[in-house]
Amino acid sequence: MDDGQLEQKHDWLVDQLKLGSRAAAAELVDIYYEQIYLFMRRLGHTRQVSEDLTQESFLQAWKYINQIRHGRALRSWMYRIAANVSKLYWRKHYIRKTVNIEDVELPDCDDGQNCTIERREQLDRLGKAVVRLPIKLRQSIVLHYMQHLTISEAAQAADIAEGTFKSRLSRALTALRKEIAVKA
Amino acid sequence: MKKDELPELLNELTQLTTEQVDPTLAEAIKNRIPWSLLRQRGGIHTISIIIDLRVGKLAAAAVIILAMILCAHFFSSRDWKSDGIFQNGKMIAKYLLSGKYPAAESTPVARSRYYYLREQGKEAVYYGDVIDPKDPNAILIHWKLRKGRYKVLFADLTTKTVTAEQLISLQARMLQNKAE
Repeated sequence: MDDGQLEQKHDWLVDQLKLGSRAAAAELVDIYYEQIYLFMRRLGHTRQVSEDLTQESFLQAWKYINQIRHGRALRSWMYRIAANVSKLYWRKHYIRKTVNIEDVELPDCDDGQNCTIERREQLDRLGKAVVRLPIKLRQSIVLHYMQHLTISEAAQAADIAEGTFKSRLSRALTALRKEIAVKA
Repeated sequence: MKKDELPELLNELTQLTTEQVDPTLAEAIKNRIPWSLLRQRGGIHTISIIIDLRVGKLAAAAVIILAMILCAHFFSSRDWKSDGIFQNGKMIAKYLLSGKYPAAESTPVARSRYYYLREQGKEAVYYGDVIDPKDPNAILIHWKLRKGRYKVLFADLTTKTVTAEQLISLQARMLQNKAE
């Protein structure tokens, strides 16, 4: 499906959602539940919490369904809700804000993956460095590089200006480079 | 580390951290879709519809107020077949156009207020049938407050709290004006 068709489909979906269609709501779940769950996981939440927060994100989405304007903004709107849900969770459970590094063990490489020991160590270090980043910087990295949102979409999802988002992203990359270089 | 290497590593990390999502999660979320996705917001919808019809704001406000009066009449015990609705509507339209409450049109409002005060057990006196309604200083109703004070509602629908002596002088002035 090309970008034009996808946009048309999202426009249609948003129209249906605004009319209160439960079928459209179910389709929205099918499209986004995996993405939102993985977003939560990459932000550093545990499996159980990620599932709960994914559910909570959709509940919030139903609640504010009237706020969405057009299909183009659907993706960033969903991520924005998810980011807010995650932020509220961190705020409530501030003691557990820092993720236990031991929890961020990467799975073993598949046979097909190019996975030398050195590369593997590098990825391990990077994974740990990402979860050590302050929440705002971590969110920028996850949104753009891991969830593959465009700068504009990611900025909308983070509810900040594009310039601010680029600056955060640059700070996050610098911090990651430093972290990996020090460890190496 | 090269500048391009970090995004590449992040991409690789993404692939490595992509895990299988429990398929029952989708079902669990779908089961929580509310039966009515859209919250009922009658007032807002009414305003939106009226604005969509390209009706002026003033006319829209008049329509909403009239609708509220109609509802109030339907849900109250008053006789809705009387000309009260028409009179009130006419009065509101005049008020919206001139910005002032016309003294001559205030009698039905005062009568409603009088009935309301009586229902509340207040000692109220209604003058609407005997005064000159075009005189804005004419007293439409007065009712007793605590400590020997009285509240007076004039024909232009302004109110004033007065003492017993002031009330007597207002009544005398009103009778004098009527006699003239």
